[in-house]
Amino acid sequence: MEDKITSEKESLEIISRMIQSSKNNMQVGRGNYLLYSGYFTAILSITLFVLITITHNGMWSCGWMLMFVYHYAITYKRRQQKPLVVTYTDKVIRQVWRVLGSMFSLTFIAIAILGEVYGQYDFALMMPLSLLYVGIGVSINGIILRERWMIYSPLVAFLFAFYMLMMLVTGRHITVVWNLYLGISFVVMQIIPGHIINKKAKHQC
Amino acid sequence: MLKELDPLLHSQLRLAIVSILMSVDEADFVYLREKTNATAGNLSVQIDKLTSAGYIEANRILNGKKTRTLCKMTDIGRNAFEEYIETLKTYLIIKK
Repeated sequence: MEDKITSEKESLEIISRMIQSSKNNMQVGRGNYLLYSGYFTAILSITLFVLITITHNGMWSCGWMLMFVYHYAITYKRRQQKPLVVTYTDKVIRQVWRVLGSMFSLTFIAIAILGEVYGQYDFALMMPLSLLYVGIGVSINGIILRERWMIYSPLVAFLFAFYMLMMLVTGRHITVVWNLYLGISFVVMQIIPGHIINKKAKHQC
Repeated sequence: MLKELDPLLHSQLRLAIVSILMSVDEADFVYLREKTNATAGNLSVQIDKLTSAGYIEANRILNGKKTRTLCKMTDIGRNAFEEYIETLKTYLIIKK
């Protein structure tokens, strides 16, 4: 590119060309953040299900705390590897997950404080609430990215979440299968859309 | 009388840089170089000019062993670009 502009039309042409080239920042591997989280949760859910079934020890449910470890590890990795470009879409998506991540942490703290006050800890509520939080996050992301699969796939998670909440409200027993419900939900709302997004990105780039 | 187009923006490469930065939140030097097809030296000079005028913000950060330059529009730059477009419109209307 030279330093001079020959006409006003050329100015307009440069502006529209540059805006167009940076508008669709569809990068290969854009769906990876969904895939990492989806596979991690799905594998964790199966592992915990198997461990609880074999040992009959409900304490294995504490393994869900690894979700926090995963979240902090991913956040650290992202801070280390800044992308070449951050679009407004990327920024909004990041903010959505930041808000939902905070809600996740606040819920955990609230349950711990209430447990301390009433002398009874029950983190089972984290399961349906996690499904609702993540489901809402994926759905909002889907609206922003205009990905139909992402918008509607969290419905599966919402159904499992409502079922779990109904069981808790009516005082029925929590079963070990709940771990698998979480895994199935993450497969549908993160792994499948993640692969779809990556496939689309591959076609466009 | 027609208003003069901002000379700082009325240059191919500087206008390209600003146009890209107007459509994203933040962009790396490498990204700008890829999109504009400019040489690193020329791009660096133009970024310095825009930074000196306060149109863009260029932050150098350390990423591992590498130094990276992240560029971003400032409010002054945004206003200047919008004014540039408005002036450009008047030119085009008269030419019609």
